Amino acid sequence: MFTTRLKKIIMIGLSIGTMALLLTGCGNNSQSSSEQKKEVKLSYVEWDTEVASTNVIAQVLRDLGYKVEITPLDNAVMWQAVASGKSDGMVAAWLPSTHSAQYKKYGKDMVNLGPNLEGAKIGLVVPDYVKADSIADLKNEADKTITGIEPGAGVCMKTEKALKEYPNLKGWKLETSSSGAMVTALGKAIKDKKAIIVTGWSPHWMFATYKLKYLKDPKNVFGGEEHINTMVRKGLKKDMPDVYKVLDNFHWTVDDINSVMLDISKGMKPEDAARKWIKGHPDKVAEWTKGIAKK
Amino acid sequence: MYSLLGILPHFDLAGTVEKITNTLTNAWSPFFNAIQAIGSNLTDGLTHFLQAIPPTLFLVACAVFAYWINRKQHKMGLSVFIVLGLWFIYNQNLWVPFMDTLSLIIISSLLSIIMGVPMGIIMAKSDIAQSIIKPILDFMQTMPAFVYLIPAVAFFGIGVVPGIFASIIFALPPTVRFTNLGIRQVPKELTEAADSYGSTEWQKLIKLDLPIAHPTIMAGINQTIMLSLSMVVIASMIGAPGLGRDVLSALQRAQVGNGFVAGLGIVILAIIIDRFAQKLNKHVDKQN
Repeated sequence: MFTTRLKKIIMIGLSIGTMALLLTGCGNNSQSSSEQKKEVKLSYVEWDTEVASTNVIAQVLRDLGYKVEITPLDNAVMWQAVASGKSDGMVAAWLPSTHSAQYKKYGKDMVNLGPNLEGAKIGLVVPDYVKADSIADLKNEADKTITGIEPGAGVCMKTEKALKEYPNLKGWKLETSSSGAMVTALGKAIKDKKAIIVTGWSPHWMFATYKLKYLKDPKNVFGGEEHINTMVRKGLKKDMPDVYKVLDNFHWTVDDINSVMLDISKGMKPEDAARKWIKGHPDKVAEWTKGIAKK
Repeated sequence: MYSLLGILPHFDLAGTVEKITNTLTNAWSPFFNAIQAIGSNLTDGLTHFLQAIPPTLFLVACAVFAYWINRKQHKMGLSVFIVLGLWFIYNQNLWVPFMDTLSLIIISSLLSIIMGVPMGIIMAKSDIAQSIIKPILDFMQTMPAFVYLIPAVAFFGIGVVPGIFASIIFALPPTVRFTNLGIRQVPKELTEAADSYGSTEWQKLIKLDLPIAHPTIMAGINQTIMLSLSMVVIASMIGAPGLGRDVLSALQRAQVGNGFVAGLGIVILAIIIDRFAQKLNKHVDKQN
Protein backbone atom coordinates (compact mmCIF):
# COMPACT_ATOMS: atom_id res chain seq x y z
CA MET A 1 0.00 0.00 0.00
CA PHE A 2 2.63 2.43 1.12
CA THR A 3 5.03 1.87 -1.72
CA THR A 4 2.43 2.71 -4.36
CA ARG A 5 1.65 5.81 -2.36
CA LEU A 6 5.34 6.61 -2.12
CA LYS A 7 5.66 6.22 -5.86
CA LYS A 8 2.75 8.56 -6.33
CA ILE A 9 4.32 11.14 -4.04
CA ILE A 10 7.63 10.85 -5.86
CA MET A 11 5.86 11.28 -9.19
CA ILE A 12 4.08 14.37 -7.96
CA GLY A 13 7.36 15.69 -6.59
CA LEU A 14 9.12 15.09 -9.88
CA SER A 15 6.40 16.73 -11.91
CA ILE A 16 6.45 19.78 -9.67
CA GLY A 17 10.21 19.83 -10.05
CA THR A 18 10.13 19.72 -13.84
CA MET A 19 7.40 22.35 -13.88
CA ALA A 20 9.54 24.60 -11.72
CA LEU A 21 12.50 24.04 -14.01
CA LEU A 22 10.43 24.86 -17.09
CA LEU A 23 9.16 27.98 -15.39
CA THR A 24 12.70 28.90 -14.44
CA GLY A 25 13.54 28.69 -18.12
CA CYS A 26 10.69 31.05 -18.93
CA GLY A 27 11.81 33.38 -16.15
CA ASN A 28 15.29 33.53 -17.66
CA ASN A 29 13.97 34.35 -21.11
CA SER A 30 11.81 37.19 -19.94
CA GLN A 31 14.76 38.53 -17.98
CA SER A 32 17.11 38.63 -20.93
CA SER A 33 14.52 40.34 -23.12
CA SER A 34 14.06 43.14 -20.59
CA GLU A 35 17.74 43.54 -19.97
CA GLN A 36 17.86 46.85 -21.80
CA LYS A 37 15.57 48.20 -19.12
CA LYS A 38 17.91 48.31 -16.16
CA GLU A 39 16.52 47.72 -12.75
CA VAL A 40 17.31 50.03 -9.85
CA LYS A 41 17.14 48.50 -6.39
CA LEU A 42 16.63 50.90 -3.51
CA SER A 43 16.24 49.86 0.09
CA TYR A 44 14.70 51.73 2.98
CA VAL A 45 13.33 51.34 6.48
CA GLU A 46 9.60 51.64 7.15
CA TRP A 47 10.01 54.93 9.01
CA ASP A 48 7.62 57.64 7.95
CA THR A 49 10.33 59.92 6.59
CA GLU A 50 11.99 57.15 4.60
CA VAL A 51 8.70 55.80 3.23
CA ALA A 52 8.03 59.31 1.89
CA SER A 53 11.46 60.10 0.46
CA THR A 54 12.08 56.64 -1.02
CA ASN A 55 8.72 56.57 -2.76
CA VAL A 56 9.25 60.03 -4.22
CA ILE A 57 12.73 59.34 -5.61
CA ALA A 58 11.62 55.90 -6.86
CA GLN A 59 8.71 57.51 -8.70
CA VAL A 60 11.01 60.13 -10.24
CA LEU A 61 13.28 57.37 -11.54
CA ARG A 62 10.27 55.41 -12.82
CA ASP A 63 9.12 58.50 -14.71
CA LEU A 64 12.56 58.50 -16.37
CA GLY A 65 11.85 54.99 -17.62
CA TYR A 66 13.68 52.87 -15.08
CA LYS A 67 12.28 49.82 -13.40
CA VAL A 68 12.62 50.57 -9.70
CA GLU A 69 12.24 48.07 -6.92
CA ILE A 70 12.04 49.38 -3.37
CA THR A 71 12.54 46.94 -0.51
CA PRO A 72 11.72 47.71 3.11
CA LEU A 73 14.34 46.28 5.44
CA ASP A 74 15.57 46.39 8.99
CA ASN A 75 17.92 49.38 9.53
CA ALA A 76 21.14 47.39 9.99
CA VAL A 77 20.21 45.15 7.07
CA MET A 78 19.65 48.21 4.86
CA TRP A 79 23.20 49.45 5.55
CA GLN A 80 24.63 46.00 5.03
CA ALA A 81 22.72 45.59 1.76
CA VAL A 82 24.13 48.80 0.24
CA ALA A 83 27.64 48.15 1.59
CA SER A 84 27.76 44.69 0.03
CA GLY A 85 26.36 45.99 -3.27
CA LYS A 86 23.18 43.90 -3.04
CA SER A 87 21.18 47.10 -3.12
CA ASP A 88 21.96 50.11 -5.33
CA GLY A 89 21.35 52.74 -2.70
CA MET A 90 19.21 54.34 -0.04
CA VAL A 91 18.15 57.83 0.92
CA ALA A 92 17.82 57.12 4.64
CA ALA A 93 21.16 57.66 6.39
CA TRP A 94 20.68 59.91 9.42
CA LEU A 95 23.98 61.62 10.14
CA PRO A 96 26.11 62.61 11.94
CA SER A 97 24.77 61.07 15.14
CA THR A 98 21.70 58.82 14.73
CA HIS A 99 23.37 56.27 12.48
CA SER A 100 26.96 57.00 13.50
CA ALA A 101 27.48 53.36 14.52
CA GLN A 102 26.33 52.01 11.15
CA TYR A 103 28.23 54.70 9.27
CA LYS A 104 31.42 53.77 11.09
CA LYS A 105 30.98 50.11 10.21
CA TYR A 106 29.71 50.33 6.62
CA GLY A 107 30.47 53.88 5.47
CA LYS A 108 33.80 53.05 3.85
CA ASP A 109 32.14 50.41 1.65
CA MET A 110 29.72 52.85 0.02
CA VAL A 111 29.59 56.25 -1.59
CA ASN A 112 28.21 59.14 0.44
CA LEU A 113 26.28 61.49 -1.86
CA GLY A 114 25.65 64.05 0.86
CA PRO A 115 22.45 65.27 2.46
CA ASN A 116 19.08 65.03 0.72
CA LEU A 117 17.36 66.75 3.64
CA GLU A 118 18.71 69.20 6.18
CA GLY A 119 17.17 70.36 9.44
CA ALA A 120 16.36 66.98 10.90
CA LYS A 121 16.68 66.51 14.63
CA ILE A 122 16.58 63.85 17.31
CA GLY A 123 16.07 64.14 21.06
CA LEU A 124 13.73 63.56 23.95
CA VAL A 125 10.20 64.74 23.21
CA VAL A 126 7.34 65.48 25.58
CA PRO A 127 3.76 66.77 25.18
CA ASP A 128 3.68 70.55 25.69
CA TYR A 129 1.74 70.24 29.00
CA VAL A 130 4.76 68.60 30.64
CA LYS A 131 6.42 71.27 32.81
CA ALA A 132 10.04 70.35 32.18
CA ASP A 133 11.74 72.30 29.38
CA SER A 134 15.14 70.71 29.55
CA ILE A 135 16.45 67.22 30.19
CA ALA A 136 18.16 68.69 33.26
CA ASP A 137 14.71 69.64 34.67
CA LEU A 138 13.37 66.09 34.73
CA LYS A 139 12.61 64.75 38.22
CA ASN A 140 10.29 61.77 38.43
CA GLU A 141 7.86 62.22 35.55
CA ALA A 142 6.28 59.18 33.92
CA ASP A 143 7.57 56.77 36.60
CA LYS A 144 11.14 57.69 35.62
CA THR A 145 10.70 55.91 32.33
CA ILE A 146 11.56 57.03 28.80
CA THR A 147 9.59 55.28 26.07
CA GLY A 148 12.01 54.31 23.31
CA ILE A 149 11.79 52.82 19.85
CA GLU A 150 13.67 49.76 18.57
CA PRO A 151 16.62 48.73 20.75
CA GLY A 152 19.79 49.62 18.89
CA ALA A 153 18.18 52.58 17.10
CA GLY A 154 20.49 55.60 17.15
CA VAL A 155 18.15 57.73 19.21
CA CYS A 156 17.93 54.97 21.85
CA MET A 157 21.70 54.66 22.03
CA LYS A 158 21.97 58.42 22.57
CA THR A 159 19.30 58.18 25.27
CA GLU A 160 21.35 55.54 27.08
CA LYS A 161 24.24 57.96 26.98
CA ALA A 162 22.02 60.76 28.32
CA LEU A 163 20.92 58.55 31.22
CA LYS A 164 24.58 58.31 32.22
CA GLU A 165 25.54 61.93 31.64
CA TYR A 166 22.64 63.72 33.37
CA PRO A 167 22.92 63.29 37.16
CA ASN A 168 19.19 63.96 37.62
CA LEU A 169 18.38 60.90 35.48
CA LYS A 170 19.93 58.52 38.00
CA GLY A 171 17.57 55.57 38.48
CA TRP A 172 15.67 56.35 35.25
CA LYS A 173 15.27 53.68 32.66
CA LEU A 174 14.73 53.48 28.93
CA GLU A 175 12.04 51.10 27.81
CA THR A 176 12.63 50.12 24.20
CA SER A 177 9.80 48.97 21.96
CA SER A 178 9.19 49.86 18.33
CA SER A 179 8.45 53.09 16.45
CA GLY A 180 4.82 52.04 16.15
CA ALA A 181 4.48 51.16 19.82
CA MET A 182 6.13 54.44 20.84
CA VAL A 183 3.68 56.53 18.81
CA THR A 184 0.76 54.52 20.17
CA ALA A 185 1.96 55.02 23.76
CA LEU A 186 2.39 58.75 23.08
CA GLY A 187 -1.13 59.05 21.69
CA LYS A 188 -2.61 57.23 24.67
CA ALA A 189 -0.70 59.33 27.22
CA ILE A 190 -1.84 62.55 25.53
CA LYS A 191 -5.44 61.35 25.55
CA ASP A 192 -5.18 60.71 29.30
CA LYS A 193 -3.17 63.91 29.86
CA LYS A 194 -0.40 61.90 31.47
CA ALA A 195 3.28 62.75 31.43
CA ILE A 196 5.34 60.81 28.90
CA ILE A 197 8.86 61.19 27.57
CA VAL A 198 9.63 59.59 24.23
CA THR A 199 12.69 59.27 22.03
CA GLY A 200 11.62 61.47 19.15
CA TRP A 201 12.87 62.65 15.82
CA SER A 202 11.72 65.08 13.21
CA PRO A 203 10.55 65.34 10.53
CA HIS A 204 7.75 63.11 11.80
CA TRP A 205 3.98 63.41 11.49
CA MET A 206 3.59 63.23 15.27
CA PHE A 207 4.60 66.90 15.45
CA ALA A 208 1.76 67.81 13.12
CA THR A 209 -0.75 65.66 15.01
CA TYR A 210 0.07 66.52 18.64
CA LYS A 211 1.43 69.55 20.49
CA LEU A 212 4.93 68.41 21.35
CA LYS A 213 8.24 69.94 22.30
CA TYR A 214 11.86 68.82 22.35
CA LEU A 215 13.50 68.92 25.77
CA LYS A 216 16.58 71.13 25.73
CA ASP A 217 19.82 69.21 25.84
CA PRO A 218 22.40 71.40 27.63
CA LYS A 219 25.02 68.66 27.55
CA ASN A 220 24.48 68.20 23.82
CA VAL A 221 24.24 64.43 24.04
CA PHE A 222 21.88 64.16 21.08
CA GLY A 223 24.06 66.33 18.89
CA GLY A 224 22.95 69.37 16.96
CA GLU A 225 21.14 69.35 13.69
CA GLU A 226 20.92 66.09 11.79
CA HIS A 227 20.77 65.61 8.06
CA ILE A 228 19.51 62.66 6.06
CA ASN A 229 22.06 61.49 3.52
CA THR A 230 21.87 59.54 0.30
CA MET A 231 24.22 56.57 0.15
CA VAL A 232 24.86 54.43 -2.91
CA ARG A 233 26.87 51.30 -3.54
CA LYS A 234 30.36 51.49 -4.97
CA GLY A 235 30.36 51.20 -8.74
CA LEU A 236 26.92 52.67 -9.31
CA LYS A 237 28.43 55.72 -11.01
CA LYS A 238 29.98 53.46 -13.63
CA ASP A 239 27.02 51.08 -14.05
CA MET A 240 24.19 53.60 -14.09
CA PRO A 241 25.58 57.13 -14.37
CA ASP A 242 22.15 58.72 -14.84
CA VAL A 243 20.66 57.08 -11.76
CA TYR A 244 23.74 58.14 -9.82
CA LYS A 245 23.25 61.72 -11.00
CA VAL A 246 19.58 61.83 -10.03
CA LEU A 247 20.31 60.40 -6.59
CA ASP A 248 23.15 62.89 -6.20
CA ASN A 249 20.87 65.80 -7.16
CA PHE A 250 18.05 64.64 -4.88
CA HIS A 251 17.59 67.35 -2.27
CA TRP A 252 14.43 68.70 -0.69
CA THR A 253 13.14 70.46 2.43
CA VAL A 254 11.39 69.60 5.65
CA ASP A 255 8.18 71.20 4.31
CA ASP A 256 8.30 68.96 1.23
CA ILE A 257 8.73 65.76 3.17
CA ASN A 258 6.12 66.82 5.73
CA SER A 259 3.46 67.26 3.07
CA VAL A 260 4.11 63.75 1.71
CA MET A 261 4.18 62.23 5.20
CA LEU A 262 0.96 63.93 6.21
CA ASP A 263 -0.83 62.55 3.14
CA ILE A 264 0.42 59.05 3.96
CA SER A 265 -0.52 59.29 7.64
CA LYS A 266 -4.00 60.34 6.56
CA GLY A 267 -4.33 57.05 4.71
CA MET A 268 -3.09 57.84 1.19
CA LYS A 269 -0.98 55.12 -0.42
CA PRO A 270 2.73 56.05 -0.39
CA GLU A 271 2.98 55.78 -4.20
CA ASP A 272 -0.03 58.06 -4.65
CA ALA A 273 1.27 60.58 -2.13
CA ALA A 274 4.63 60.60 -3.93
CA ARG A 275 2.93 61.11 -7.31
CA LYS A 276 0.86 63.95 -5.90
CA TRP A 277 3.94 65.74 -4.57
CA ILE A 278 5.82 65.26 -7.85
CA LYS A 279 2.90 66.74 -9.76
CA GLY A 280 2.85 69.76 -7.46
CA HIS A 281 6.60 70.43 -7.66
CA PRO A 282 7.70 70.06 -11.29
CA ASP A 283 10.48 72.65 -10.89
CA LYS A 284 12.19 70.72 -8.10
CA VAL A 285 11.95 67.43 -9.98
CA ALA A 286 13.33 69.15 -13.09
CA GLU A 287 16.35 70.23 -11.06
CA TRP A 288 17.07 66.64 -9.99
CA THR A 289 16.72 65.29 -13.51
CA LYS A 290 18.44 68.15 -15.34
CA GLY A 291 20.28 66.98 -18.43
CA ILE A 292 19.12 63.39 -18.15
CA ALA A 293 17.33 61.88 -21.11
CA LYS A 294 14.31 59.67 -20.67
CA LYS A 295 15.02 56.05 -21.45
CA MET B 1 37.92 43.42 41.58
CA TYR B 2 40.09 40.40 40.78
CA SER B 3 38.16 37.19 40.83
CA LEU B 4 39.16 33.68 40.04
CA LEU B 5 37.13 33.77 36.84
CA GLY B 6 39.06 36.79 35.61
CA ILE B 7 42.46 35.13 35.51
CA LEU B 8 42.23 34.00 31.92
CA PRO B 9 42.51 36.70 29.26
CA HIS B 10 39.32 37.92 27.60
CA PHE B 11 38.40 35.74 24.65
CA ASP B 12 37.04 37.87 21.82
CA LEU B 13 34.34 35.53 20.51
CA ALA B 14 32.35 38.35 18.90
CA GLY B 15 35.36 39.51 16.91
CA THR B 16 36.21 35.96 15.87
CA VAL B 17 32.70 35.27 14.61
CA GLU B 18 32.76 38.56 12.71
CA LYS B 19 36.07 37.60 11.09
CA ILE B 20 34.88 34.10 10.19
CA THR B 21 31.72 35.49 8.61
CA ASN B 22 33.72 38.02 6.60
CA THR B 23 36.13 35.38 5.37
CA LEU B 24 33.27 33.06 4.48
CA THR B 25 31.48 35.83 2.63
CA ASN B 26 34.55 36.62 0.55
CA ALA B 27 35.85 33.11 -0.07
CA TRP B 28 32.55 31.47 -0.83
CA SER B 29 30.91 34.29 -2.72
CA PRO B 30 30.70 32.41 -6.07
CA PHE B 31 28.98 29.53 -4.28
CA PHE B 32 26.59 31.81 -2.42
CA ASN B 33 25.86 33.77 -5.59
CA ALA B 34 25.05 30.56 -7.44
CA ILE B 35 22.63 29.48 -4.71
CA GLN B 36 21.15 32.97 -4.69
CA ALA B 37 20.61 32.83 -8.47
CA ILE B 38 19.14 29.34 -8.50
CA GLY B 39 17.00 30.00 -5.44
CA SER B 40 15.58 33.26 -6.66
CA ASN B 41 14.86 31.81 -10.11
CA LEU B 42 13.09 28.88 -8.53
CA THR B 43 10.94 30.98 -6.21
CA ASP B 44 10.30 33.57 -8.89
CA GLY B 45 9.17 30.80 -11.21
CA LEU B 46 6.88 29.33 -8.61
CA THR B 47 5.52 32.74 -7.64
CA HIS B 48 4.84 33.67 -11.27
CA PHE B 49 3.13 30.34 -11.77
CA LEU B 50 0.97 30.75 -8.65
CA GLN B 51 0.11 34.31 -9.57
CA ALA B 52 -0.75 33.33 -13.11
CA ILE B 53 -3.52 31.05 -11.84
CA PRO B 54 -6.74 33.04 -11.89
CA PRO B 55 -7.82 33.59 -8.25
CA THR B 56 -11.26 32.11 -8.90
CA LEU B 57 -9.76 28.94 -10.34
CA PHE B 58 -7.34 28.65 -7.43
CA LEU B 59 -10.14 29.10 -4.91
CA VAL B 60 -12.41 26.53 -6.58
CA ALA B 61 -9.56 24.03 -7.02
CA CYS B 62 -8.58 24.29 -3.35
CA ALA B 63 -12.18 23.92 -2.21
CA VAL B 64 -12.80 20.91 -4.46
CA PHE B 65 -9.56 19.31 -3.30
CA ALA B 66 -10.57 19.89 0.32
CA TYR B 67 -13.93 18.25 -0.37
CA TRP B 68 -12.22 15.37 -2.15
CA ILE B 69 -9.90 14.51 0.73
CA ASN B 70 -12.91 14.68 3.07
CA ARG B 71 -15.22 12.83 0.71
CA LYS B 72 -15.71 9.78 2.96
CA GLN B 73 -16.99 11.83 5.87
CA HIS B 74 -19.14 14.06 3.65
CA LYS B 75 -17.89 17.08 5.56
CA MET B 76 -18.02 20.51 3.95
CA GLY B 77 -16.40 22.51 6.77
CA LEU B 78 -12.93 22.86 5.27
CA SER B 79 -14.22 23.69 1.79
CA VAL B 80 -16.46 26.41 3.17
CA PHE B 81 -13.56 27.79 5.20
CA ILE B 82 -11.31 27.82 2.14
CA VAL B 83 -13.87 29.64 0.02
CA LEU B 84 -14.46 32.27 2.70
CA GLY B 85 -10.78 32.58 3.66
CA LEU B 86 -9.42 32.94 0.13
CA TRP B 87 -12.24 35.29 -0.81
CA PHE B 88 -11.32 37.44 2.21
CA ILE B 89 -7.68 37.52 1.13
CA TYR B 90 -8.66 38.53 -2.40
CA ASN B 91 -11.10 41.09 -1.06
CA GLN B 92 -8.42 42.71 1.16
CA ASN B 93 -6.02 43.05 -1.80
CA LEU B 94 -3.67 40.54 -0.23
CA TRP B 95 -3.66 38.05 -3.10
CA VAL B 96 -0.20 38.90 -4.42
CA PRO B 97 1.56 38.92 -1.00
CA PHE B 98 -0.40 35.78 -0.14
CA MET B 99 1.07 33.97 -3.13
CA ASP B 100 4.55 35.30 -2.34
CA THR B 101 4.23 33.87 1.16
CA LEU B 102 2.87 30.59 -0.16
CA SER B 103 5.81 30.08 -2.50
CA LEU B 104 8.29 31.00 0.26
CA ILE B 105 6.73 28.34 2.46
CA ILE B 106 6.49 25.71 -0.26
CA ILE B 107 10.16 26.10 -1.19
CA SER B 108 11.51 26.27 2.34
CA SER B 109 9.37 23.33 3.52
CA LEU B 110 10.28 21.22 0.49
CA LEU B 111 13.98 21.88 1.01
CA SER B 112 13.63 21.16 4.73
CA ILE B 113 11.97 17.84 3.97
CA ILE B 114 14.48 16.89 1.28
CA MET B 115 17.34 17.57 3.70
CA GLY B 116 15.61 16.59 6.93
CA VAL B 117 14.26 13.10 6.22
CA PRO B 118 17.61 11.60 5.11
CA MET B 119 19.30 13.33 8.04
CA GLY B 120 16.75 11.77 10.40
CA ILE B 121 17.33 8.34 8.85
CA ILE B 122 21.10 8.64 9.30
CA MET B 123 20.53 9.75 12.87
CA ALA B 124 18.28 6.76 13.57
CA LYS B 125 20.72 4.27 12.07
CA SER B 126 23.83 5.55 13.84
CA ASP B 127 24.22 6.52 17.47
CA ILE B 128 27.34 8.50 16.66
CA ALA B 129 25.46 10.56 14.09
CA GLN B 130 22.72 11.12 16.63
CA SER B 131 25.11 12.42 19.26
CA ILE B 132 26.60 14.84 16.72
CA ILE B 133 23.40 16.04 15.04
CA LYS B 134 21.27 16.46 18.16
CA PRO B 135 23.16 19.40 19.70
CA ILE B 136 23.29 21.07 16.29
CA LEU B 137 19.51 20.81 16.03
CA ASP B 138 19.13 22.31 19.52
CA PHE B 139 21.41 25.15 18.49
CA MET B 140 19.48 25.78 15.26
CA GLN B 141 16.17 25.96 17.06
CA THR B 142 17.13 28.04 20.07
CA MET B 143 19.50 30.55 18.50
CA PRO B 144 17.25 33.59 17.94
CA ALA B 145 16.56 34.04 14.25
CA PHE B 146 17.55 37.72 14.37
CA VAL B 147 21.13 36.63 15.00
CA TYR B 148 21.64 35.15 11.57
CA LEU B 149 19.74 37.79 9.62
CA ILE B 150 22.88 39.83 9.01
CA PRO B 151 25.07 36.91 7.85
CA ALA B 152 22.14 35.74 5.72
CA VAL B 153 22.22 39.11 3.97
CA ALA B 154 26.00 39.02 3.63
CA PHE B 155 25.79 35.58 2.00
CA PHE B 156 22.67 35.83 -0.12
CA GLY B 157 21.82 39.51 -0.39
CA ILE B 158 18.33 40.78 0.29
CA GLY B 159 15.13 39.19 -0.90
CA VAL B 160 13.54 35.82 -0.79
CA VAL B 161 16.64 33.58 -0.74
CA PRO B 162 18.07 34.72 2.63
CA GLY B 163 14.49 34.44 3.90
CA ILE B 164 14.40 30.80 2.82
CA PHE B 165 17.83 30.28 4.40
CA ALA B 166 16.60 31.66 7.73
CA SER B 167 13.35 29.67 7.53
CA ILE B 168 15.16 26.40 6.87
CA ILE B 169 17.52 26.85 9.81
CA PHE B 170 14.56 27.44 12.05
CA ALA B 171 12.11 24.92 10.58
CA LEU B 172 14.30 21.94 9.68
CA PRO B 173 14.80 20.36 13.15
CA PRO B 174 11.30 18.87 13.74
CA THR B 175 11.46 16.85 10.52
CA VAL B 176 14.86 15.43 11.50
CA ARG B 177 13.84 14.75 15.10
CA PHE B 178 10.52 13.09 14.23
CA THR B 179 12.07 10.95 11.47
CA ASN B 180 14.70 9.78 13.94
CA LEU B 181 12.10 9.14 16.63
CA GLY B 182 9.72 7.32 14.29
CA ILE B 183 12.36 4.93 12.97
CA ARG B 184 13.81 4.28 16.42
CA GLN B 185 10.33 3.34 17.63
CA VAL B 186 9.90 0.57 15.06
CA PRO B 187 9.33 -2.60 17.19
CA LYS B 188 12.44 -4.76 17.60
CA GLU B 189 10.48 -7.93 16.76
CA LEU B 190 9.62 -6.60 13.32
CA THR B 191 13.22 -5.68 12.60
CA GLU B 192 14.36 -9.12 13.72
CA ALA B 193 11.72 -10.76 11.56
CA ALA B 194 12.90 -8.74 8.57
CA ASP B 195 16.49 -9.71 9.34
CA SER B 196 15.60 -13.39 9.58
CA TYR B 197 13.98 -13.27 6.15
CA GLY B 198 17.23 -11.87 4.84
CA SER B 199 16.16 -8.34 3.97
CA THR B 200 18.87 -5.93 3.01
CA GLU B 201 19.27 -2.64 4.90
CA TRP B 202 17.68 -0.80 2.00
CA GLN B 203 14.66 -3.14 1.90
CA LYS B 204 14.23 -2.79 5.66
CA LEU B 205 14.25 0.96 5.35
CA ILE B 206 11.79 1.24 2.46
CA LYS B 207 9.43 -1.60 3.36
CA LEU B 208 9.50 -1.59 7.14
CA ASP B 209 10.95 1.48 8.83
CA LEU B 210 9.51 4.23 6.68
CA PRO B 211 5.95 2.86 6.47
CA ILE B 212 5.76 2.32 10.23
CA ALA B 213 7.42 5.64 11.04
CA HIS B 214 5.31 7.41 8.45
CA PRO B 215 2.72 9.03 10.76
CA THR B 216 5.48 10.34 13.04
CA ILE B 217 7.47 11.68 10.10
CA MET B 218 4.37 13.41 8.76
CA ALA B 219 3.78 15.00 12.16
CA GLY B 220 7.34 16.34 12.00
CA ILE B 221 6.81 17.68 8.49
CA ASN B 222 3.63 19.38 9.61
CA GLN B 223 5.61 21.08 12.39
CA THR B 224 8.24 22.14 9.88
CA ILE B 225 5.64 23.77 7.65
CA MET B 226 4.10 25.62 10.58
CA LEU B 227 7.51 26.84 11.81
CA SER B 228 8.48 28.12 8.37
CA LEU B 229 5.18 29.98 8.33
CA SER B 230 6.08 31.60 11.62
CA MET B 231 9.32 32.89 10.06
CA VAL B 232 7.42 34.89 7.45
CA VAL B 233 7.46 38.15 9.41
CA ILE B 234 11.13 37.89 10.40
CA ALA B 235 12.10 37.01 6.83
CA SER B 236 10.45 40.22 5.65
CA MET B 237 13.01 42.19 7.67
CA ILE B 238 15.60 41.06 5.15
CA GLY B 239 13.44 41.82 2.15
CA ALA B 240 11.41 38.65 1.60
CA PRO B 241 8.15 39.68 -0.05
CA GLY B 242 4.76 38.56 1.23
CA LEU B 243 2.28 39.00 4.04
CA GLY B 244 5.11 39.42 6.56
CA ARG B 245 6.02 42.71 4.93
CA ASP B 246 2.52 44.05 5.54
CA VAL B 247 2.66 42.94 9.18
CA LEU B 248 6.06 44.53 9.70
CA SER B 249 5.12 47.81 8.08
CA ALA B 250 1.91 47.95 10.12
CA LEU B 251 3.93 47.38 13.29
CA GLN B 252 6.39 50.14 12.48
CA ARG B 253 3.68 52.59 11.51
CA ALA B 254 1.32 51.70 14.39
CA GLN B 255 -1.52 50.70 12.05
CA VAL B 256 -3.56 48.28 14.15
CA GLY B 257 -6.10 47.57 11.42
CA ASN B 258 -3.64 46.83 8.60
CA GLY B 259 -1.56 44.64 10.88
CA PHE B 260 -4.62 42.64 11.92
CA VAL B 261 -5.77 42.09 8.35
CA ALA B 262 -2.33 40.92 7.16
CA GLY B 263 -1.95 38.76 10.27
CA LEU B 264 -5.33 37.19 9.57
CA GLY B 265 -4.08 36.35 6.08
CA ILE B 266 -1.21 34.37 7.64
CA VAL B 267 -3.65 32.60 9.98
CA ILE B 268 -5.87 31.58 7.07
CA LEU B 269 -2.87 30.23 5.16
CA ALA B 270 -1.72 28.34 8.27
CA ILE B 271 -5.12 26.73 8.83
CA ILE B 272 -5.48 25.66 5.20
CA ILE B 273 -1.98 24.12 5.05
CA ASP B 274 -2.37 22.47 8.44
CA ARG B 275 -5.73 20.86 7.62
CA PHE B 276 -4.45 19.59 4.28
CA ALA B 277 -1.35 18.10 5.85
CA GLN B 278 -3.29 16.50 8.69
CA LYS B 279 -5.90 15.04 6.37
CA LEU B 280 -3.30 13.49 4.08
CA ASN B 281 -1.57 12.05 7.12
CA LYS B 282 -4.76 10.46 8.51
CA HIS B 283 -5.64 9.18 5.08
CA VAL B 284 -2.41 7.19 4.97
CA ASP B 285 -2.91 6.07 8.57
CA LYS B 286 -6.11 4.33 7.68
CA GLN B 287 -4.55 2.53 4.76
CA ASN B 288 -1.88 1.17 7.00
